[in-house]
Amino acid sequence: MTALDTLLLISAITVGVALLAGNWRVGGWLVTILYALQGAALLMMSGLGYSTLTVVQSSFSIEVLSEQLLWRFDALSWFFALITIGAGLFSSWFASGEWGERYRDNGGSLRLFHGALALNVFTMLVLLASGDLLTLFIGWELVSWASFLIMALAGGKAFGYAMRYISYAFAGAMALLGGLLLIYAEVGSFDFQSLKEAAPQMQASTLWLLVVLLTSGFGVKMAILPFHLWQAKAYAQTPGPGAAFLGAISSRMGLFAFIVVVVQLIGISRLVEMEIPFTFLDAQDLLAWIAVFTIIIPTYIALRQHDARRLLAWHGVGQTGYMLLGIVIANDLGSAGGLMHVFNYASYQAMLFMVVVAVIHRTGTSDLNKLGGLFTRMPLSYLAMLIGIIGLAGLPPMNGFVSKWLIYRSLIVDGSPLLFLGAVIGTLGTILSVYKLIHNIFLGQLRVEHVAVREAPLSMVIPMMALAVIVFVTGYFPGLVLDWTSAVQASIGIPVLAHHLGGVSMKGGLDMIWIVSVLLIGFGFGTLVFFLGGRSRRVHQLDNYAGGHFLTAETRYHYSDNFYPGLMHLIGPWYRNSFEWLERGVISAVDTLSTAMQGLYRNAHPSYLLLAAVVFALSWVIV
Amino acid sequence: MHFLELLVELLLMPILAFVIGLAMVLMMRRIGARIQRRVGPPVLQPIYDIIKLYSKDTQISHGLMHEIGIIMAVGGYIAAETLLPVPGLDGLADKGGAVTLAYMLMIPALGMALGVGQCANPNGSIGISRALTAMLAYDIPFILVIFGASYVYGTTNLAEMISIQQQQGVSSWGIVQMPLLALTALLILPAIMGKHPFEIYVAPAEIATGPMVEMSGKFMGGLFVMQCFQLYTAGVIFTTLFLGGGVYWITFLPKIFLVVAIPMSVAYLFPRYRTEDVLRLMWKWPMLLGLIGLAVVMK
Amino acid sequence: MNELDKIPVRQEISVAQGSVKRSNPLANVFDELVRFCQSRSMFMLHYCTGCGAIELPPAMTSRFDMERLGIQPMVTPRQADILLITGYVSVKTLKRIILTYEQMPAPKYVIGICSCTVNGGMYWQSYATAKVLKEYLPVDIYIAGCMPRPEAVISGLRDLMGDIKSGSASNWKRYFQNYDHYLGNQQKLFDEDWQTPTDIIAEAEHYGLITDQTLGEHTALLQKHQQPLEALEFSLGEKREKIRGENQ
Ligand code: SF4
Repeated sequence: MTALDTLLLISAITVGVALLAGNWRVGGWLVTILYALQGAALLMMSGLGYSTLTVVQSSFSIEVLSEQLLWRFDALSWFFALITIGAGLFSSWFASGEWGERYRDNGGSLRLFHGALALNVFTMLVLLASGDLLTLFIGWELVSWASFLIMALAGGKAFGYAMRYISYAFAGAMALLGGLLLIYAEVGSFDFQSLKEAAPQMQASTLWLLVVLLTSGFGVKMAILPFHLWQAKAYAQTPGPGAAFLGAISSRMGLFAFIVVVVQLIGISRLVEMEIPFTFLDAQDLLAWIAVFTIIIPTYIALRQHDARRLLAWHGVGQTGYMLLGIVIANDLGSAGGLMHVFNYASYQAMLFMVVVAVIHRTGTSDLNKLGGLFTRMPLSYLAMLIGIIGLAGLPPMNGFVSKWLIYRSLIVDGSPLLFLGAVIGTLGTILSVYKLIHNIFLGQLRVEHVAVREAPLSMVIPMMALAVIVFVTGYFPGLVLDWTSAVQASIGIPVLAHHLGGVSMKGGLDMIWIVSVLLIGFGFGTLVFFLGGRSRRVHQLDNYAGGHFLTAETRYHYSDNFYPGLMHLIGPWYRNSFEWLERGVISAVDTLSTAMQGLYRNAHPSYLLLAAVVFALSWVIV
Repeated sequence: MHFLELLVELLLMPILAFVIGLAMVLMMRRIGARIQRRVGPPVLQPIYDIIKLYSKDTQISHGLMHEIGIIMAVGGYIAAETLLPVPGLDGLADKGGAVTLAYMLMIPALGMALGVGQCANPNGSIGISRALTAMLAYDIPFILVIFGASYVYGTTNLAEMISIQQQQGVSSWGIVQMPLLALTALLILPAIMGKHPFEIYVAPAEIATGPMVEMSGKFMGGLFVMQCFQLYTAGVIFTTLFLGGGVYWITFLPKIFLVVAIPMSVAYLFPRYRTEDVLRLMWKWPMLLGLIGLAVVMK
Repeated sequence: MNELDKIPVRQEISVAQGSVKRSNPLANVFDELVRFCQSRSMFMLHYCTGCGAIELPPAMTSRFDMERLGIQPMVTPRQADILLITGYVSVKTLKRIILTYEQMPAPKYVIGICSCTVNGGMYWQSYATAKVLKEYLPVDIYIAGCMPRPEAVISGLRDLMGDIKSGSASNWKRYFQNYDHYLGNQQKLFDEDWQTPTDIIAEAEHYGLITDQTLGEHTALLQKHQQPLEALEFSLGEKREKIRGENQ
């Protein structure tokens, strides 16, 4: 039995245990321990992450259509699996304590929750292990259904959003299937290697079709423009830590598949050759621009949200753009940045979702207009959120800065000012939006109804703090993660980034050990300067200059709603919901079509049609 | 020993920055006074102010984050100064270049924003919301400038930029190589320094000095110290990118004072812009100039 | 009208409480320097009531230029050293003035400009005007006149500077040390449930300025009506705190 077999076996056992024991008091902890075991199994393969091992095969395989279906791990899979299992571990830990009890008391099924979470991890591992295009597709479908399951758990509205997701996912799967069939027709095999060999000889028109089909197939999962609508609402409605898990890693599967098929097999150099007629652009530029708009538009949608979870979920969509951008640029800096951003983003996004869930757990709301001043009540959660938002905004000293720095630097090296500008506009929007997030929840006036609020229970705080440590340490010593991304770069055939423990070794490089140390010492001196002054006296929050007025607690003296009026005054009219509009247009078109065909099929629902089509296509391919 | 030398440099750089910053604050107030036909404050006025603020008997704090915010604001700048190469002192310029510096400079702003948030005063929060919006306004042209300079010099390392300009003489200075970008930077400089006419976020009469509304004593003193650093940083960055930096203080100092003096002399001539007008203005002219400038330098 | 003996006399206090320890380490070492800087850097909150305010713009702008003396306008009490009361004070306004004064960080100085602040001036017979400002706040300098010219204002400010430099401008301590007296006068005017957001007694305690005259019958009355205003402390556990409004 290879290490990969062990990993998949433990993962499958986790699903079983979660479904059997999920409702028990210790069930959650059992599952959490099993995740830790998965992590241990993954560490047995850690050679993959340091380029000492190239591939770990699974001994399990089936023969279909004279094709050998293979499962194996390489550096890329290992890197993504690490994040997946980490996200699973911390989410399940978070869910095992008080949160789970509350969830069960409110009528939720913990068994289903843990089961769905474990199933997600398992299916993702299967997808990550895929060794050829067919297994990739199978893994892809499994992951889609597993995500649907966890999204739909909350019922009601969440079910609607999950349905919306699954409709998108079907459309994506159809595109993907089309792409795979095209490959089969061209190459005559689902093997990775034969596609890689055939790609350079493919005709430009075929390649175009292929890239469009595959990118939209994978793009749906990544929620890149114009497929971004489903994600934020669906993630925001997922119960508690489930949202943290999905937000951290789930849509990265699209990125993984994109890297495998488009970057590794077809190759970015091939994309550069594909000129778009009548423009200066080629396919690479097109993808980069899609990435940049995926950064900008969702980030500025996030800026308008007043629900903490939705705000975070929209940022999740936006951050995908950075990863895609870095990977599409595909030089040593960019791809390292894009890959590192997957890790960094997962670490702080999971943490931020956890903080918000903890706040909901204590106060019952995530509405940014109904919170405030919780800093004194939940200081540890505040600390976690502070570290998280510094990461999300990409400021030093957190890890988010390093990955964004790599991406910026790659754009400078690449000489693409407009892409750079787009990336920075996204970052600035993020800063505005995350300040609003932390200000409206933790700063400002503490409301009367929240006076008795306490810090979240330890079962919630410990995973948050652990993630906070990861965010800080990998920002201090980015070399830890850059080791892994270098291994990935080597395995997918991109130039490897020269790095050291503190960052990038190049002319005009970056050394985070120095930067962070100097920053910390600077804070130390800042403290000295601060304590030069006299002893300070803490005053009550209502002892506040209000133009000579006496405030009482009944006065809501907290500035939260419409936080950026000046900005919105200018850019408000630019929000036109044109994508929503487009989506509605497509839906009604499909609706009309299906109504017309109703007599024929006696069924009006477009997704059932799509389902039937998929099943048909699958059976045709496999049998 | 090399390490000791570096240590001395790192200590010296913030101190120098502070002292020069004090002089800049004085110059700024004097210019303002002269434009209004006043005499202006005495030479040591900035020091009097800071000592007075630190020695207040009552120091009103609104909680831990209020204090940490000020520490971050001052400490962040102290750290950022070590990334700014000045004559004889390179500090950590080779550990992180212009991009790193641009993001390091957001740490003090973030610290101040968090500190103000903890004060629970809506005037403060309104001020921060305006300040962040203004940051969004001027950072977009600013990033074009940073990009253009990095492209022209082929590096993001500030120390290298200086040595390139020093070795090849005035004709290689940024202001000759990319005059449009220099103009862009000059246009956004008052906004970066938060001075007239872009000081809507402090708006004394309307929102009671915005972010500073609850800052008293040493808290305000910290912000005064931060202002010194802020002016100095703005001057040095501009000089490094466009005016050839400096090998000797004697040539370097006039340049940085000139850079700070120019926007200050023009500042009082304009009435204050509203937030959305700041955005509109910044996204129109400097942006346009910056894009044209970039197109020119990149051919 | 108040009887004369009820008004606290300045010397008594400075003798009894002359050696109040300054909390500031810097202030202990460089007392001289600090006092000099304090005198040369005065931020004033021009609380512009009444007519006298109109004399401040000329005092600040090019003709007389207060900034020469290091005097600058500031808009929030948190940063102000001097509170300028520039004219008659109606009862409603006085409430705001007291609120504002209490929010200023010590050392703080009050300047009454205009005769109306001295004794009510031409509003003596008005039912709505507080006549003698120093009954409610410790006034450092009066600048009389109806209204005083900018020269007078500046000369008054220079007097204050001299006082600060010599260390004799410590009237602000009297507010803490005789809080009961001032509060009594305020209660007489406003009502017995008069309360400000600033907890003066706690502040006096924090800075060691409590005397036997700080607390008295009026502060007892205040504490009866007052809802406690303690700073919000961190809490990780069950600890409950009272803030105003909790019992509503
Ligand atoms: S003293 Fe004269 S000028 Fe001053 S407030 Fe009274 S009436 Fe007005």
